[in-house]
Amino acid sequence: MSERHQLKQFLAGRIWLRHLMPFPEETVDEAIRQGEIHIEQGVTSKKTWHGTHYTCQRCHNENPTRFTVFTCAQCEAPCAYCRNCLNMGRVSCCSELLTWTGTLPAFPTQHRMNWQGNLTPSQQKATRELLDSTKQGVSHLLYAVCGSGKTEMLFQPIHYVLNEGKRVCLAAPRVDVILELLPRLTTAFPDTRIEALYGGAEVEHFDAQLILATTHQLYRFHEAFDVIFVDEADAFPYTADETLQRAVRKAAKPNAPIHFVTATPSSQLLAMNKKQGNISILARRYHGQPLPVPRSVALWNYDKQLKKKRIPAKLLRWTTERLDKQQPFLIFFHQIELMELAEPLFQKLDERICAVHAEHEDRKQRVQLLRQKEIPGLLTTTILERGITIPNVQVAVVGAEQTIFNKGALIQIGGRVGRSVPNTSGDFVLFHQGITHAMDEAKREIRKLNRTEVPQ
Amino acid sequence: MTCLLCDKSLDYQPTWQHFLGIQQDTSACPTCLEKFERIDQVIEDDRLDSVHSLYAYNEAAREYLHQFKFMQDVALAQIFSPSLRSVLNDSKKIVVPIPMHPINKRKRTFSQVDALLEAAKIPYQSLLEKTTESVMGEKSRSERLAMTELFRVTADIDSNEAIYVLVDDIYTTGTTLRHAAEALKQRGVHRVEAVTLFRPMREK
Ligand SMILES: [Zn+2]
Ligand SMILES: [Zn+2]
Ligand SMILES: [Zn+2]
Repeated sequence: MSERHQLKQFLAGRIWLRHLMPFPEETVDEAIRQGEIHIEQGVTSKKTWHGTHYTCQRCHNENPTRFTVFTCAQCEAPCAYCRNCLNMGRVSCCSELLTWTGTLPAFPTQHRMNWQGNLTPSQQKATRELLDSTKQGVSHLLYAVCGSGKTEMLFQPIHYVLNEGKRVCLAAPRVDVILELLPRLTTAFPDTRIEALYGGAEVEHFDAQLILATTHQLYRFHEAFDVIFVDEADAFPYTADETLQRAVRKAAKPNAPIHFVTATPSSQLLAMNKKQGNISILARRYHGQPLPVPRSVALWNYDKQLKKKRIPAKLLRWTTERLDKQQPFLIFFHQIELMELAEPLFQKLDERICAVHAEHEDRKQRVQLLRQKEIPGLLTTTILERGITIPNVQVAVVGAEQTIFNKGALIQIGGRVGRSVPNTSGDFVLFHQGITHAMDEAKREIRKLNRTEVPQ
Repeated sequence: MTCLLCDKSLDYQPTWQHFLGIQQDTSACPTCLEKFERIDQVIEDDRLDSVHSLYAYNEAAREYLHQFKFMQDVALAQIFSPSLRSVLNDSKKIVVPIPMHPINKRKRTFSQVDALLEAAKIPYQSLLEKTTESVMGEKSRSERLAMTELFRVTADIDSNEAIYVLVDDIYTTGTTLRHAAEALKQRGVHRVEAVTLFRPMREK
């Protein structure tokens, strides 16, 4: 394949720093001469009455605290660079961003789908609705409870788009989710060019038609996709970061539908899709059993007691019961410090109990040990709130009144319980010092979902 | 404000120092700052009258220099401003940054030592010019020893009696600093000291 053709495949749909292009300079220069590449300034500035207003043309960041101005030896002037997308190569006033304006590359229109799994009637209905929205080009919210098998519901809509010769992106806020999705999609679409992009991963397949990417990576796309699916649409940091949401919009072609998949949609996401999109609600888990409803148990001064090296009585009873019955358990804490204070106390009950949090490198290994019943239980921060399945796990939250345990987090945490057959239920207890609005809301929401009629 | 290294928000807790104006503006959170190991190691050398290294070149330092120099995050220059100010506070001494070769400087878009000093608002004189484009770390030991002249003095030396302080980001073999000191001494300077941000510590 000619280098020119590879250049087209690479740059079409991307926005890339000129000095980081994976092609010889002459190839790029030639395409520029042919008018196939548009060049724009990396960071643009506008004088306003209260100073200079900067915009990053790659990530669309406009927050003045996310720019740094320095005396630049390259453009020999005060030059601003964007700190928001710095880890993808620095974009500054004097750097050039390239986009493709030539003819677009064509993609294959015949894709094999290697998946014979059975969908429940509820799943079939949701898939059909999602497919219809895709055909109509309308944004869709797939509101599917934890453990409802949502990835499988995306296969048919993805297959449809691929067979149209169009480009699809499946985006998720966290790299863990991307790495978990990749093997499932390569199995489902064995002949399709698939690429996973996340921090540190190089672009290898210039002609990838199905791209899995962390939402951050979408900064480097520009009107690339005919459909984007955003998985775990409520997860940090996507909810917090407005520029990430703009990045998703920017990576999609104008008028391309953006679908959201989540177990805990924000009210904003629900409102948006009610107004200008479609919604499918999947209230039932794939095994058909209701979601576990949390029970609340008052646990006063748990922090003070833990600081005095004492496990509060009710929590102690709950834990020893799990140990006696040999049920794996997760105990969630709102704070690393408190959890680490508690760790040695729990180890007196069983020395194999240990704590995990975001910076533990062997986090995945410890979860695996819990799954294999090598260790009886884990203490954890909210890092384990989503994405993990442990048969027959029982869950307790210590300090459920803390603000970090909002409605979405509590529903996700409860979603760990009763995921697989035959243990389709289990204990989900909220130890608290006063019931919060979020706890009430989470309970109400779970009850409401459990009451929802399901198609037979 | 958020921490320049980890992006977590910096909660300002005004203290009495703050009101008296001694509190220096912090740009990184305590958790990140704790990862840098302060050593304040001072050594003497045959051609350098003293070399003062502030921090150990540990994992945090390696990451810091990577983001600052390689990722070109100029903003990180301010993280060490308070420590640099405290050791370069003698107004009688003349501060001289180790320069980059003009071509390399243009490529990087800034010179890291100048940026460190500017962020700390420490006055300096650019007396030296680098004569070779290559980087010390890329050379073998014999190549390093065979090199005759790395720096040229480009301006007039005001006073031979004054103490000159060379500043560099890291002290590794010492070749760079020794060559710079030699260049100044050949122009009649009596005493040349050096301050570096980092220095690798021997394995214990
Ligand atoms: Zn940016
Ligand atoms: Zn510039
Ligand atoms: Zn920090």
